Amino acid sequence: MRRLALAACLAATAALAADDPKQKDDLAAVIALQGKPCGEVVSYTVQGANDFVATCKDGNKYRVHVKDGRVVVEKQ
Amino acid sequence: MPAPPPAPEKVVTAPATAPVPKAAPEPKATLPQPAPSREPSKPAPAKEAAPAPAPAPAKATAPPLDLRTLEERLKGTSAIGVLTKLSLKNQVDDLIAKFRTYHAGARPPTLTDLKPSFDLLLMKVLSLLQDKDAALARDINASRDAIWGVLTDKQKLAEFS
Repeated sequence: MRRLALAACLAATAALAADDPKQKDDLAAVIALQGKPCGEVVSYTVQGANDFVATCKDGNKYRVHVKDGRVVVEKQ
Repeated sequence: MPAPPPAPEKVVTAPATAPVPKAAPEPKATLPQPAPSREPSKPAPAKEAAPAPAPAPAKATAPPLDLRTLEERLKGTSAIGVLTKLSLKNQVDDLIAKFRTYHAGARPPTLTDLKPSFDLLLMKVLSLLQDKDAALARDINASRDAIWGVLTDKQKLAEFS
């Protein structure tokens, strides 16, 4: 039970505090590859495995996730 | 060189006898063989003597990558992230599917339709790579024609899959 609580806590922390510059670049590249405006990802949150919400410098927000082996970018 | 005949006039005689065959061995060498690296500078003398129209000896300016090598190097590069790689793969798969449709005989996708898509995708790949893996970007760019050659050849594309 304690472990479960700890895991949940860690997951919640990760969702709030993700700030890996490489991941930001990765997200920015994916968004650009899909032809969506962004420029630069200034922050992002982790929603789950391969599931992110990226905030761009221009204010756009995108959910980037993998579904059936495809990377999907959805405007939020 | 035929013979050193005593050319009476000192002006350029013999308009185009020898130099041509050495200079242009078909620039669009359509992906020769997956053979690793042959000695490019010493082809078989018999082949040089009789320049057959079809075979096109392996003497491209830069060694083109085959699609497998390209795939492996793209998978292995640290220049782009995992999601970007997956996204690129999705787009490559989509493009290949369009080429399959073309090879199946359906005609909305003509080669003229497919070429811009191919160029755009290649441009995306190159722009992603050029700063962090310039060597791979350069090699891919040098292989542009070879890749196009594979995609437009039904049999080669089938072999790749």
